[in-house]
Formats: sequence, C-alpha cells, structure tokens
Amino acid sequence: MARPRIADLSSLFARVGVTVFGGGDPTIAILQREFYRRDWLSPEKFAIAFGLARLTPGTNVLAFCAAAGWYILELGGALAAVLAITIPASVLVVWLTRAYDLTVHYRLAQSIANALLAAAVGTMIGAALLLVRSQCKSGRWLKPVAISIGAFLLAFLVKLTPLQVIGLAAVAGFFWPES
Amino acid sequence: MNVIVLYLLLVKATLTSFSGLASLPMVRNDFVVRRHALTDRQLNTAVAAGRIGPGPIGIYVVSVGYLAGGVPGACAGWLAMITPAFLIIPMLRFLGARAEHPRARAVARAVLFAGAGLMASAAVPLARDAITNPLAVGIFIASFLLIASARVDSLWVMLGAALAGLIAFQV
Repeated sequence: MARPRIADLSSLFARVGVTVFGGGDPTIAILQREFYRRDWLSPEKFAIAFGLARLTPGTNVLAFCAAAGWYILELGGALAAVLAITIPASVLVVWLTRAYDLTVHYRLAQSIANALLAAAVGTMIGAALLLVRSQCKSGRWLKPVAISIGAFLLAFLVKLTPLQVIGLAAVAGFFWPES
Repeated sequence: MNVIVLYLLLVKATLTSFSGLASLPMVRNDFVVRRHALTDRQLNTAVAAGRIGPGPIGIYVVSVGYLAGGVPGACAGWLAMITPAFLIIPMLRFLGARAEHPRARAVARAVLFAGAGLMASAAVPLARDAITNPLAVGIFIASFLLIASARVDSLWVMLGAALAGLIAFQV
C-alpha cells in the first residue's frame, strides 16, 4: 500500500466532504473508489472499517473516516481525516442555515436545490451498486448480491432498523464464510 | 445557552444514536420541549440545512448548535458530532490481528453488502420527494449512470445537476 503525505490525505477528505451530497453512504462509496485508485487501503481493511463504523455510535461516516485515516497514517491520519471532512462542510452548513430562509422564497434557488436532490438520489443508488460490484470477485457474486438485496428488503419492506439489518448481515456472514 | 451545556446535550444525543438523524428525537426533547432553546421551525431549518448541503446527514447538529448558541454553539455542535467517531480507534486496536481471521473478514464483508442494501432503501423515500418531474428523472438517471460507471467524479455530477436546474429555471 502507498503511504501518502498527511496534506494529501487531508486534501482528499476535505474535497470529498464538500462535494459529495446525499449523506454518509455515497461519501463512503466515493472514498472507496479514491482509496483503491491511489492504492491507500486494501479491500479487506476497507471492509473492516466499514463494518465497525456501522457499530460505532454517532455519525457512521465519521467513524469510517477515523478508521480509514488510522489504517493509512495511524492517529495523525485519523485526526486529519475527521477534521478535514467535517470542518469545511460545517462552515458550509452554518452558511446554509443562515441562507435557508432565503432559498424558501427564491424560485431559482429552489430549482437548483431540487436538481441537486435528484442528483443526490442517483448518486446514492449508483454508489450502492458500485459498492457491491467492487467487492464481487470473479464468479463470486451470489453472496454480495443476496445479502445486499436481503438487506434492502428487510429495511424497506419489513421496516427493520439499520442496526437490526446490520446484525442479521453479520450473523449471515459468520455462517456463510468466504470460499 | 452555555456552550458546555450545549456540547454535553448534543454529545449525549450523538453518543446514543447510530446514524445521522437517529439523534433527532433526543435533540428535540432537550432543545425544544425541555429547555425551549429552539422552536420546531428552527429545528426543521437545521435538518433542512444539513440535508441540502454536502457531508453527512448528522451534520445538522452543527446547525442546531449555531441556532442555539451562535458561532461558539456551532463549534460545540461540531465537536459533539465528531467525538463519537474516535471510539472506533480502540475497537480497531482491540480487533487488530483478529480482523484478519477469515470468519471476521466474512462478517465485515457481509456488513458491507448490507450497507449497500440499506443505502438503496434510504434512497427510496428521498426519491419520492426529489423525482417529481421529467427534468428530475433525467438528472436522476444521468447521475446514476455516471456514478455507477465509476468514470466521473461526483463533484462534476453535482455541478452538472446545478447547471441543469439553473437552465431549467431560465427556460
């Protein structure tokens, strides 16, 4: 694995923090692509960081960033990742809080906000597909596809909470080991 | 509101939830119902500001902090948002070598696949609100294809969508 400078790591997280819309899941999917492209994190460590982040209290994507930063550059990496992904986005959200009342009254701002929301949905679903596809090794697609579709159905139709779905997936993974 | 109290109330909410908006009921109970530091309308503004901007959905606590205590309050909200994230480091250290065990890896990968399913399920209610006209359908399909093909950075997808919204308004 390549070992980046802390400035490069911070730059990536800051850029993703202010350009990826739709919440934590698309952010993780985009980070995954960037990590693999730069050879900063192995798929195995990515999966561990992702899984543990789901079990950590608070905002999952920030726990994921701390874990990924930790794997890449230890404690300095974890701090840099979390600070870089949250500080610019937090400044922006304070500005948006002040501007929100204005956007409600301006049709131009509403038109742009609606377009961004539609793109955020497309990004989320595209990122979900990318996440599964990137983990499918040659010919071994059944487990990724079965678990991801099962999780979708349990959350959407059965209305289980994310934590319950993750727990069931962990049990399924335990009894359905890698071949 | 005192900044330390603000931080403690918000970190209590973030430490006892496991996803972005799951802390909202506790935040509402503390800030709107019990302490009257915010109104429901202000809380809605905080959630909306968190959703229309980039970054995690849980970032709305920064907005809550700002509305309750100005810029120092926003800093308290930011600190409350990031504090729980660092709990993952002792978990990683504890797991260490165990994480390389084939069964542990199988569990982690299964959780990852479930995450993809959860992401798709979270997108459905958002899609109902967002995809309400032909332009939105076009933007949704284009964004999906560009991201799924892994060829285009999401920054360009979002800038393209904003441009489409701007052009649609002018036409």
